[in-house]
Amino acid sequence: MSTASARPRAGRLLGLLTTLALIIIAVVFFFPMVWMVLSSFKTNSDIFSAPFALPTSIDFARWGEAWEVGHIGQYALNSVIVTGASVFAILLLGAAAAFAFSRYRFRGRQLFMGLLALGLLLPLQSYFIAQSTMFTDLAITDTRLALIIPYTAMGLPLAVYLLKVYLDSLPDELFEAARIDGAGDLRVFWLLALPLLRPGLATVAIFSALACWNEFLLALLYIQDDSLKTIPTGLLAFSSRYVTDYGLLFSALSIVTLPMIVIYVVFNKQIIEGITAGSMK
Amino acid sequence: MKANRAVTPYLFLGPALLVFGFAVVLPVAMTAVYSLTDWNGYGSMTFVGLDNYVKALGDSLFRDSFAHVIAYIAATLVLEVVIGLCLAGLVSARRRGSLWFRVAIFTPVMLPMVVVAILWAFVYNADFGLLNAALEAAGLQNLQKVWLGDPSTALLAISVTSGWVYAGFYMTIFYAAFNQIPSEVVEAARLDGAGEWQIFRRIKVPMIRSAVTVAVLLCVTGGFQGFDLFYVMTNGGPYGATEIPTTYLVKSVFTFGNVGYGSAMAVLLTAVVVVVGLILARFNRQRPEGARS
Amino acid sequence: MTRSRKTTITALSALSAATLALTGCAGGGGGGSDDNVLRIAMGSPGEAQIRVWDQVAEQFEAAHEGMTVEMNYQDDDLYQTIGLPNLLNGRNAPDIYFEWAGSRLEQRVSDGFAADLTDAVETEPIAGLFDEDVFTSVTVDGTVAMVPHAADVTNVLWYNKQILADAGVTPPTTWDELLAACDTLDAQGIIPIASGNKDLWAAGNWLAHLASRVVGEDAYAQALSGETGFSSPEWEKALGYVKELADHNCVNESANAVDDNEGAQLFFQGKAAMHAIGSWLVSWAIDEAPDLDFDYVNLPAMPGAGDQDSVIGVVTGYVVNAKSSKQDAAAEFLALLNNDENVQAFIAAELTPMALSASGGEIDSRSADLINMLETAPAIVLPPDTGYDLERANALYTALAEVMGGQSSPADALAGIDQKLG
Repeated sequence: MSTASARPRAGRLLGLLTTLALIIIAVVFFFPMVWMVLSSFKTNSDIFSAPFALPTSIDFARWGEAWEVGHIGQYALNSVIVTGASVFAILLLGAAAAFAFSRYRFRGRQLFMGLLALGLLLPLQSYFIAQSTMFTDLAITDTRLALIIPYTAMGLPLAVYLLKVYLDSLPDELFEAARIDGAGDLRVFWLLALPLLRPGLATVAIFSALACWNEFLLALLYIQDDSLKTIPTGLLAFSSRYVTDYGLLFSALSIVTLPMIVIYVVFNKQIIEGITAGSMK
Repeated sequence: MKANRAVTPYLFLGPALLVFGFAVVLPVAMTAVYSLTDWNGYGSMTFVGLDNYVKALGDSLFRDSFAHVIAYIAATLVLEVVIGLCLAGLVSARRRGSLWFRVAIFTPVMLPMVVVAILWAFVYNADFGLLNAALEAAGLQNLQKVWLGDPSTALLAISVTSGWVYAGFYMTIFYAAFNQIPSEVVEAARLDGAGEWQIFRRIKVPMIRSAVTVAVLLCVTGGFQGFDLFYVMTNGGPYGATEIPTTYLVKSVFTFGNVGYGSAMAVLLTAVVVVVGLILARFNRQRPEGARS
Repeated sequence: MTRSRKTTITALSALSAATLALTGCAGGGGGGSDDNVLRIAMGSPGEAQIRVWDQVAEQFEAAHEGMTVEMNYQDDDLYQTIGLPNLLNGRNAPDIYFEWAGSRLEQRVSDGFAADLTDAVETEPIAGLFDEDVFTSVTVDGTVAMVPHAADVTNVLWYNKQILADAGVTPPTTWDELLAACDTLDAQGIIPIASGNKDLWAAGNWLAHLASRVVGEDAYAQALSGETGFSSPEWEKALGYVKELADHNCVNESANAVDDNEGAQLFFQGKAAMHAIGSWLVSWAIDEAPDLDFDYVNLPAMPGAGDQDSVIGVVTGYVVNAKSSKQDAAAEFLALLNNDENVQAFIAAELTPMALSASGGEIDSRSADLINMLETAPAIVLPPDTGYDLERANALYTALAEVMGGQSSPADALAGIDQKLG
């Protein structure tokens, strides 16, 4: 038939065109980031006069300078500490709460579930003002705790929701069997539920870590001490002090961006699975 | 499961509830209380009833900020959701691998917004930024503008940046949703001679209705909460053209010390977000569609 | 559903109780602490000056066994708005803090945060370090409230000597000369005056000074302190001149999109002939653009009711917290700050202190001229954001930015101010 023989040729052409389109689109998307890294090796005047030219030399000395002068190591350390502590708390508290919701019936269960669900919908604006005055009164502003506590609280609703879904899908018999074997509640949680939750925990960990790492508003409001700033606010401080030295600025941005891209490429399977699982709620 | 002791579930739930209650629930209540006062954050607090609300509803800057954020949401629905949908369609129409493409497009989602804002502020820089330089190189000097300084282009410029970041996110959601469609349906259509575009329009998109509504929900509620890009790129300028409720709120409280007034605006903004979110969520649940997951 | 309703009600009452308890906690603070730490708060003076401060801190600690000095450098914008009030009212309030003379200082005195330093400056330890006249600007209600450190001329018109010479333009001293210069430079594709006004104060201070020259210093002060409104024919006339700046393309188009650092960059890179900014440009330019040959003129004479030789400037210095338990130590620290050795150290860091011994140091001739101009000025105009209430200042800045950017007409912009201020 004429359609059958015409299709392969048209199909190949279409396939080629779509590949071309994809390449162009990908290049356009990636261009700003590539440009930023390349420009970090140029001097200010080069950036201004010949923005699209390739750098004359690839000298990582500027990156070293940006790291030193911009205290990037300090900011990164703070981000690691804050994110690490928050994610740990989110996983532990979230798993415990999900376990309670999923495996037990108790007074107030519906109320508390509803409260946490509300947390999914509640925007940051609804509480950050009062949270800020509260933290000021309790004198925990300018401490890492001022970020760890809200980050944990903000990550709990989604974590509890996702982990509960995981736990709900496990067969009751599994838990009943452990019971019959004489395991107490804590053992059931620690030795049975948690290991089974591993994929869910991984997903929650990745997303909470990303959210904490990139969080900006609270970090801006609660931490003024430069030695405690996390990467987002640290970069902002750096950019306002060195706004005149674009080569240095882009070096700092590149140093921060490249590891994240590498981590993403390595973990992209989990990340994408997490998003798809989450959006299919 | 039956607990060994009645208090056990509460012990598991307790820590999470404590942290959440302390850091979220309590401040929400306090914000509502503050909204009824005139307070500068440390001095004495005077109870003023609903005055702040009346003032907020009459504040043209506050009303304008809502107009701006709604325009932003409309723009991002196109730049993020629609483009994400088209990209997903493009990628899923191919039979061969496209992982490299999806990874590339998704990468900006990982970046801290501050990095994106600083980078794109430079792109839009009128004197030596990339965009104007590119226009110059292409001989289109007359299209050059002060992108972030011209009230007619600033909001759009920020929206485009937002689209650059999140199109990949929505593309990922939709691509996964497309993959959920039973392949027989698509194959049957192909055998019938349908072109890829027709398959996209008539079969794929309608079958992922639930993913589309989820995407719209995320885009809209996310848009209302936007802050980082706006704060770093323009901080409400030029002449307040990109002032959105959150930046206006933050200014009222943290620059001018109007805690009561800022709280009232926060309550109003929250109400809008929650109501819109609930409506969209209800919309999602009411629509039965083919591939229910 | 009564059980869950009861739980809800109990939860809500507990919540409200907690809320009220916590809000009761607010508004208590402001006490200093009793430990042996001398706390000093200020904005961000730059790396060079920070090093000098660290040195002074070390000297103080060495001379005072058991005491340590803790420096708190805040982001400038934050410090100027709510940063300082938050610090003063919180735990571990500073014992010494940076302030600007003007209505801000008066506010500190009336709030009880400024110790009476009259004795300290007349006798030990601060006596003899300053010329007595210098204290008039920091005296509130008959008491000396602040030890001055440096004076800023908030805005002058800097110019690139080479560019002006090449373009055949002399530095403008009258309004007409300024407009003519703009026309000439614009025709040659050079930005006449660079400004980075994203944060509203950079051009705001310049144009506020311009406005004060037109409406007169008294009318300016009255409008900004709230005694009068801004809608008057004189103010409209003043903003009309701002509109002329826009009409003659005097300022870079991107002025309202770029911040003050970027505005300065345009000047440093020779893209702009002139730059309207304050006296702090000197050290910055020497660092950033050592080959730049630049000088300044005060704001050109305007047609108007003000003193056409007025200078916009402000005295800055350090206040001792009246609630501090270490006021004597604080006074000694301030004396140490202004001793001969440290004054010279600050001069080397490109700051010109007001202490007497500063005149013996090697100050850039431009900085010296600026100080002289400020000291001999027939009239001093205070900058809106440090001399007056911040909300009123902001409203004026916004109106000025709108007219400068061609966004609003003078009448509309002024109407906007009154609307904003209610």
